[in-house]
Amino acid sequence: MRPSSTLSNTWTALSIAALCLFTPAVSVKHENFKTCDQSGFCKRNRHYADKATGLGSQWEAPYRITPESLSWKNGQLQGTILKTINTAGETVNLPLTISFLESGSARVTIDEEKRQKGEIALRHDSKARKERYNEAEGWAIVGGLDLSKAATEERDDSRSIITYGPEGKFQAVVTFAPFGIDFKREETTQIKFNDRGLLNMEHWRPKVENPAPEVKEGEEAPPALPDAEDESTWWEETFGGNTDSKARGPESVALDISFPGYEHVFGIPEHAGSLSLKETRQSSGNHQDPYRLYNADVFEYIMDSPMTLYGAIPFMQAHKKDSTVGVFWLNAAETWIDVIKEKEAHNPLSLGIGSKTDTKTHWFSESGLIDVFVFLGPTAKEVTKAYGELTGYTQLPQEFSIAYHQCRWNYNTDEDVKDVDRKMSKHQIPYDVIWLDIEYTDDKQYFTWDPLQFPNPIGMLEQLDQSERKLVAIIDPHIKNKDGYHIVEELKKKDLAVHNKDGNIYEGWCWPGSSHWVDCFNPAAITWWKGLFKYDAFKGSMANLFIWNDMNEPSVFNGPETTMPKDNLHYGNWEHRDVHNINGMTFHNATYQAMLERKKGEVRRPFVLTRSFYAGSQRLGAMWTGDNQASWDHLAAGFPMIINNGIAGFPFAGADVGGFFGNPEKDLLTRWYQAGAFYPFFRGHAHIDTRRREPYLAGEPYTGIITQALRLRYALLPAWYTAFHEASVNGTPILRPHYFEYPADETGFAIDDQFFVGGTGLLAKPVVTENAESVDIYLPDDEIYYDYFNYEKYSGQGKVTVAAPLEKIPLLMQGGHIIPRKDRPRRSSGLMKWDPYTLVIVLGKSGSATGELYVDDGETFGYQQGAYIHRTFEFSNSVLESKNIATKGKLTDKYLKTMKTVGVEKVVIVGAPKEWAEKSSVKAGKEDARLEYHAEEGKNAAWAVVKAPKVLIGEDWKIEF
Amino acid sequence: MRRIEALVLLSTLSTGIFAAESSRPRGVSPEFAKFYKDTESFTCISNPSIKLKPEQINDEYCDCPDGSDEPGTAACTYLSSLSPPQPISSIGKPNTTLALPGFYCKNKGHIPSYIPHTYVNDGVCDYEFCCDGSDEWAGVGGTKCEDKCKEIGKEWKRLDDIRQKSARNAQKRRVELVNEAQALRAGVEIKIGRLEQEIKVQEGKAEELKKKYEEIERRERGRVVQTGGGKASKVTILAGLAKARVEELRESLVKVTGKRNALKEKVKELEAILSTFKEEYNPNFNDEGVKRAVKSWEDYAANKVEEDESAEDRDLEEISKPDTESEGINWAEWETEDEESDVDALYKFEEYLPTQVRSWVHQKLTDLRILLIENGILADNANSGTESKAVTDARSAFQTVNDDLGIKSSSLGDLRNDLEKDYGPDDIFRALKGTCVSKDSGEYEYELCWLDQTKQKSKKGGGHTGMGNFVRFDRMVVDEEVGADGKGLGKGERLVLVYENGQHCWNGPNRQTTVVLACAEKDEVWKVVEQEKCMYRMDVGTPAACEEGGKKEKGEKKDEL
Repeated sequence: MRPSSTLSNTWTALSIAALCLFTPAVSVKHENFKTCDQSGFCKRNRHYADKATGLGSQWEAPYRITPESLSWKNGQLQGTILKTINTAGETVNLPLTISFLESGSARVTIDEEKRQKGEIALRHDSKARKERYNEAEGWAIVGGLDLSKAATEERDDSRSIITYGPEGKFQAVVTFAPFGIDFKREETTQIKFNDRGLLNMEHWRPKVENPAPEVKEGEEAPPALPDAEDESTWWEETFGGNTDSKARGPESVALDISFPGYEHVFGIPEHAGSLSLKETRQSSGNHQDPYRLYNADVFEYIMDSPMTLYGAIPFMQAHKKDSTVGVFWLNAAETWIDVIKEKEAHNPLSLGIGSKTDTKTHWFSESGLIDVFVFLGPTAKEVTKAYGELTGYTQLPQEFSIAYHQCRWNYNTDEDVKDVDRKMSKHQIPYDVIWLDIEYTDDKQYFTWDPLQFPNPIGMLEQLDQSERKLVAIIDPHIKNKDGYHIVEELKKKDLAVHNKDGNIYEGWCWPGSSHWVDCFNPAAITWWKGLFKYDAFKGSMANLFIWNDMNEPSVFNGPETTMPKDNLHYGNWEHRDVHNINGMTFHNATYQAMLERKKGEVRRPFVLTRSFYAGSQRLGAMWTGDNQASWDHLAAGFPMIINNGIAGFPFAGADVGGFFGNPEKDLLTRWYQAGAFYPFFRGHAHIDTRRREPYLAGEPYTGIITQALRLRYALLPAWYTAFHEASVNGTPILRPHYFEYPADETGFAIDDQFFVGGTGLLAKPVVTENAESVDIYLPDDEIYYDYFNYEKYSGQGKVTVAAPLEKIPLLMQGGHIIPRKDRPRRSSGLMKWDPYTLVIVLGKSGSATGELYVDDGETFGYQQGAYIHRTFEFSNSVLESKNIATKGKLTDKYLKTMKTVGVEKVVIVGAPKEWAEKSSVKAGKEDARLEYHAEEGKNAAWAVVKAPKVLIGEDWKIEF
Repeated sequence: MRRIEALVLLSTLSTGIFAAESSRPRGVSPEFAKFYKDTESFTCISNPSIKLKPEQINDEYCDCPDGSDEPGTAACTYLSSLSPPQPISSIGKPNTTLALPGFYCKNKGHIPSYIPHTYVNDGVCDYEFCCDGSDEWAGVGGTKCEDKCKEIGKEWKRLDDIRQKSARNAQKRRVELVNEAQALRAGVEIKIGRLEQEIKVQEGKAEELKKKYEEIERRERGRVVQTGGGKASKVTILAGLAKARVEELRESLVKVTGKRNALKEKVKELEAILSTFKEEYNPNFNDEGVKRAVKSWEDYAANKVEEDESAEDRDLEEISKPDTESEGINWAEWETEDEESDVDALYKFEEYLPTQVRSWVHQKLTDLRILLIENGILADNANSGTESKAVTDARSAFQTVNDDLGIKSSSLGDLRNDLEKDYGPDDIFRALKGTCVSKDSGEYEYELCWLDQTKQKSKKGGGHTGMGNFVRFDRMVVDEEVGADGKGLGKGERLVLVYENGQHCWNGPNRQTTVVLACAEKDEVWKVVEQEKCMYRMDVGTPAACEEGGKKEKGEKKDEL
């Protein structure tokens, strides 16, 4: 690259070295979180895998279907798997259901008969349920479960073949002994279940007291007797001074899922690492532990790690040239996923291009069912759509919530908030939302205000409302255990809190000190919670106040791995172990429900930010990547994490701009704003011990550059909102990685530092390194790309170098697209509502372009009754046409009437043809409009502008050039 | 309301050019009316090469790269260095500096004002700029902004009267303060004069007494033995001195013990705080600083040995009791002089001689002695403690005067320094020094003591926390709101008092306070904000910050739009 890069790298290395010397290793407390070795079932299943792998072809998986148990009905195959549990040949029954869904997805569910029937005994007089947890579906799945009518089954002695999916292109081949399933698409196997024989369902067994010595924490387990199973982690596990009573003994479930011919797998957020998942078992340079999903409040998390974070979506996509498939592991317990990749080189001559890589994954969860959905694509779009049919699509957000959020732990007083609000206006920096972290409360009691620091919350909210700005206040699930606090008193009286293993209200520590946790698995708790947010209940709240749910993993400061003991009991006496990863979503859900209608008749789209999440959380609001740090590597980590979250169905994601911990240097802060302008959820946030860093404090040139980045986001809000709309109807991610848009282009499969914004053709690669003067952007095709700001031309395919001095964001427009914008800067997005649009037509090689625009009121559910504008713009043969693609509803006409004044103020044509040089007007609708042509200048493309075409955004029209 | 200065300025501007009003396009102020007079064409104000048709003015499309064709709409607002750059729709290299300061609101019945073009037709009635609601002329989304100039104007007038009055009072008060300061200064000068005089006199006196003392001492040196006094008086002197010394030590001991006890209590309190802290801190969320603090506390607690100090305390108590006949030292025994001993009488041989001879002999002997002493042959017994009362008196007379002289000189130095010291413009803070103002704000009560220190006191209990000690004057450019009541820093350069080195902040710096002053009728802390951790800013009104003769504070200018 550039000669200076060596220098800057050296400097970076030096400063890193210096940091290591002088700062006591600022990173996660690893000892607070389990490694696989410290997690009994993880260790057991890895050991199981090693044993099977070691034996190779000699390994006999002890699971088989009894053919006579099988029955086929209405797209569903049911039967029993027998698990042989000892050398004597004793078996246990595992009921199996394979469902083939109308959508083309398949679902495999395996349960345990004894547990279903409750024919087990629990130790320690536990009150926990006997069944395996079977209610995850109730939280995660909202539709798409209709069984396929077209699916057909054929069966012989050894296997059953089900043909299903679109035009019968999919097949599931169920092998009876040992049990296994191959999923095929057009004759080719895409996904294999139990191919490696790692299926493992630890059946219930009574504890047999044997003389094996107790293993104490920290001590090595005594070597297990050969052939005898190592029971040391079956009955009790101690970690961090906390003992898990495990009343049901060992009960983990595991399955190996292989993707033959697939080199890349993505998804299973949330981890701080690359988009393309790394191997976790073999060779150096890879992770040592499996990817872990066990929602936890991880303090100062580290980069490039399979370690668990705050949220979990057990949905994985595998991608190879022109094919994407996926699996969704519906289990709410602690889960680990091992990933290995095996190069197959059948033909030594075909090494390289022809060599095939298989990705093999191994999933194991501590308890619950085996319940897996299979998606056969063949495109990524189809996979995310099918996944979204099940778990729901992203909420169509309040429009303000995709604008800029100004947060800090903490704005100290109501006057402080008002002051920041005024200063943002004064510096002409747009923002929509200011946030309050925990300190606004009276003594950490949610639903109250500190009477001294926030004596007048309504006055504060009213000032914000003046310029259509909002406030977001934090409300967490821990309820302060303090006499006289009405919320905790009601919580206790109504018995709506999580219980400990003995059935008493669980008490732990969090921000308020001693606290209880509202149990949002309980419908009565949701009803109660909803009441707390009514304007007359939450005094000092009004319509422009929204909510932030933090600490909902749940975070418990004195709990094992900073969360709840696994033997805590939730509503219905499910153990916390069974439901842990869903817990955060249930709280988020309760708040979402509460925010729908805070005053009778006033139904609004809620905006609730969550830190913890699960599959389905996308329906409820936004997430952020938790407590990051003000460092360049954390800035760089943001995009892979956000992109990964997006392909896992939860695109409304962002990272704290500026970095939560620490003080960013001004160039880092500036670059972070430039990056943040491309986060679907765009919020600046800072820790209480950091210096103030509101954009106007940075000073010039930084404040000016940051303001430009913010205004860029605001100008492009119509495009962002359109992308959100698309995500809300078909699950297509908002930041789209290369493999998603260019599934045949192998060079792009692992790229995770550049991305497309929705369907706009905007290709962005924000700078995430220090002292960059340029970046290399990879162009996946031979289209023409134009610099967003000066129309400089680039052409693919391959890498191009784009200048990126501090004031510039590397942002290209791909030929062939039409981008809707609003260029007039206002104080907030709400005040842009009536402003006219600018349409940027980016002409491609073919000379044509298309684009889309979705508009609605941005806050109500009126769009569900047709109160919206949805249009396509097409430019071809020198005609630009706006066409309606909305479906008319009850409220359509009324809405369009309100939009009567909103038009297009200009149309910019980038890459305008030379012939237009002589043109001075075009026909726009019925009238003529002026056209101004600017010839190509050096590298910068020719462009033209249609001035004031006087066409309305909600109407059909043509502009003829 | 925050446009007060701008309003005032505009009002003077507008009066002369009132006539042109009716013909001006929307949003154009009288100041710029001349550019819009031509009915044939319009020339972009800063780009004369670009000529437009008159109907292109305010047609919601920005034609002029300087925005001058859209004085009444928001169409040109994207022309800003704060917006993302884009190729500008114009040929050549246009001047893109905005030509107009804003949208002109006529505000009939009140004072005309500019509003930023970005606020035009955004659906919000910005009455603080446009009381006539003319910024929302398009009524977007059904926005209706009625003309409120009458009531706003009336209210403004009412408040303005108050402000004016207040400003006049502030001026008056300032003059008073200056006079007070001058009087105080004059007082100091007088004191200096007086002191200088006194010092002169005392110096003469001291000189004289010194001579006298030296003379006496010289003479006394020759005496072998003093008459009277002698050993016995040596003891009494010693006893007196010892008694005083013991008393002094005892008092100190009592004081020190008291202090020790208070500190012990403090340590106890701190230890209690720290152990609660250790119990309650969040091991996962707090930073290295916290972890280190907890670790150190644990170490400290582990190494701490509980000592039984009761015996020691009892001893201390015993020692602290005043001496009486029965306890401690019976000073009375030592203070009374004993009878002269016979041996002493033997030395007074001169008394056996006839008077003349005696005095002659004495003189000779003395001279000889002095000679011997002065030549180093005989030891000087003047320092041996057997000093005569005459010498003691002479010396003490000299010393008294000399001491007094020292005190006076040092006072003089202080006073002179005080005159040199910076008391701000016109020496005005001389009048305020020693007084304090306080402010109740949120959780705290804040106190500002002029040129002394700033403090904060939590309402949730605990003592005062020092937020800094005055170190110097400074100046600072601010841009802040001014409330309707005239309170607030406004815009421009303001006088600043810098307070540094306050109490150390846990996990942070020493507290410091920047006190920014603006002219007001009364001393009043308007606002206290913690800008950064433990770095405070106080916005304070005081007549002491008013500019002389009521002229605007330095750097005052029209608020930019």
